[in-house]
Amino acid sequence: MTARERAERRAAIGFVAPAVVTLAALTAGPALWVFWLSLRQRVPVFGIDHFAGIAHYAFLATDPRFWSAFRVTAVFTVASVALELLLGLGLALALRGQRVGRRAALALLLLAWALPGVVTARLFEWLYHPAAGLVNVALGVALNWLGDPALALPALVLADVWRTMPFVALFCYARLLTIPAAVYEAAAVDGAGRAATFRFVTLPLLAPVLLVTLLFRTLDALRAFDLMFVLTGGGPAGLTETLTVYAYRSLFQTLRLGFGSAIGVIVFVLVMAVAAAYLSVLRRREAAA
Amino acid sequence: MRAILLAAAVVLLAGCGGPPRADAPVTVVFKHARMFGDDPVPRLVAAFERRHPGVRVKTEALGSSSDEQHQFFVINLEGSAAARGPGFDVMMLDVIWVPEFARAGWLLDLTPSLAPGELDAHFPAAAEAARWNGRVWALPWNFNVGVLYYRADLLARHGLGPPRSDAELARAVQRIRAAERDPKLEGFVWQGKQYEGLTCNALEALWASGTALLGPDGEVLPDTTRAAHALARLRGWITDGISPPWVSAADEELTRRAFGDGRAIFLRNWFYAMDLFDAPGAPGRGKVGIAALPGRGAAGPSPGSTGGSLLGVSRTTRHPAAAVALARFLASEEAQRVLAGGSVLPTRMALYHDPALVAKRPHMPRFHDLALAARPRPVTPAYLMLSTSLQPELSAVVVGVKTPERAVADARRQLAYALQGLR
Repeated sequence: MTARERAERRAAIGFVAPAVVTLAALTAGPALWVFWLSLRQRVPVFGIDHFAGIAHYAFLATDPRFWSAFRVTAVFTVASVALELLLGLGLALALRGQRVGRRAALALLLLAWALPGVVTARLFEWLYHPAAGLVNVALGVALNWLGDPALALPALVLADVWRTMPFVALFCYARLLTIPAAVYEAAAVDGAGRAATFRFVTLPLLAPVLLVTLLFRTLDALRAFDLMFVLTGGGPAGLTETLTVYAYRSLFQTLRLGFGSAIGVIVFVLVMAVAAAYLSVLRRREAAA
Repeated sequence: MRAILLAAAVVLLAGCGGPPRADAPVTVVFKHARMFGDDPVPRLVAAFERRHPGVRVKTEALGSSSDEQHQFFVINLEGSAAARGPGFDVMMLDVIWVPEFARAGWLLDLTPSLAPGELDAHFPAAAEAARWNGRVWALPWNFNVGVLYYRADLLARHGLGPPRSDAELARAVQRIRAAERDPKLEGFVWQGKQYEGLTCNALEALWASGTALLGPDGEVLPDTTRAAHALARLRGWITDGISPPWVSAADEELTRRAFGDGRAIFLRNWFYAMDLFDAPGAPGRGKVGIAALPGRGAAGPSPGSTGGSLLGVSRTTRHPAAAVALARFLASEEAQRVLAGGSVLPTRMALYHDPALVAKRPHMPRFHDLALAARPRPVTPAYLMLSTSLQPELSAVVVGVKTPERAVADARRQLAYALQGLR
């Protein structure tokens, strides 16, 4: 390394230092603090504050409520993200093919996505109303959407898909607009049909965007909170209680700071693991390309 | 942020005007939930200020949900430095928070400030919720009791009286529905959603079965057989067709609307619903009766659980005398009479036979008798922990994914860990 390179390196460290320090103070600091809290038994109302080691984690390992929340979180994430990707992609393709009213369609799409989560939840509360709900009236059924153990989670997935599918659709649509027409013309010249064009041209070109969207949506879904908190409170029978709702109830409702932090740490580790897995796939694709 | 601004303002003012004069007005901050309809709080505060010329009262309203209010208080009371105080002096407390806040050391012990027997004028269940560990921590302010509403017109048409037991209620539902042949008419609606309301319904079921959530020594669900029996009754209402399946997702308002619109014969709800059924133009006006909750077997009617709020004083208030005076004034008979003229129900027994109030709200004497028999939810600092751990188990029984026995065992296990070392 020459003297000049060394000087540049020093300058570079100086330039990134503020960002690193800020991130450390705002992210790593609190994260470490939460981890430390999770190793303590701390209940301020009762004046309890002592080291507990891995007691909370040991209890959670055999806690049926925790495993139920884990399962609910996993099912909700897989189901809602899969549906959002499929429908969002379909919608983006439909939008590209649309000749008139594209702007109006885009605005309508954004509307669903722009609503605050709690407003969406209240909206669906009325849609799912057992007697006066539009869903039951339109389908001509009398289903107990939010109170039936078999329907409550699907009902929440549906609400989440309605709310976030536009996000996926917009990402895909934006990418579709940038695919040059020449590529499609070449495919047509080669005699590719619609299915083959989609399979061998559109999909590969969309793949990076789809992967990034998938990453965003998965991380969001793993932390799902507002819909279940407002619509079902985690019920019936805890069958819509996600890990974050369980953490909230422990942390803020009953002030078991140590125990609640332990659930928070597990959510954090889960989210980080999923993010790392996606990122490694993305990196491998980039290396291959 | 507000605390910082306030502190800055205090420093500035002190710097400008020198040491505060002894006769400078004292400002007391009152944090309360917004009242429905015509808010009587400003009028009451003005009356208090007229009588205490040296005291200014600032009222600050809180978010509407009980969860939000609890979170606000907890963060501000726990997070504030003891020397500076939380930024408010008098607070409106939900009935279930008083022991928790007292245990945490956030409330001023009011025992020395009260006249002997000052709480005796309130309903016993309301006074019980104000005491913890032998001391008084808050003053009862308004009240609610779980009761049975029934369609008096339908019962009369079929020659029935209000049911005293669950068997009578079931028979009444079957008879009326068979005769009315209205597929939209449900039987008995109550609150089965996984939330605090379900805990209240379950507590009432436990009492009707002759047991309780907490034993005398603090054991959770001490009589497991009777507890399972009580929870089986909640599920039984649905499987027997007495209650519609949707009660498993129902809260107070959902069931109140269904009953108020004439779509149910019986409803378990709080006192507050009566004013709405009786409002001019309401479809149920004049057709709604009120009774004690049905008991189990031959034991007769069963007590309802209580709700409502109390007034507490922050332990770190800088003006304890003025703050206690405000709380006592607001809880006084005079102030509660003003509240009772609106949509609030008082905790003072005498007001339920006050001629002027009875003329306005004719059902108050009936409420009096039902409120006398009511029971508070367990008065313990760990109440929220108890209730939130219990709710998924109760809900599991209501929707039939767990047997009552299994739910009772799981609840006891969950709570054994949560309550470890908390007594």
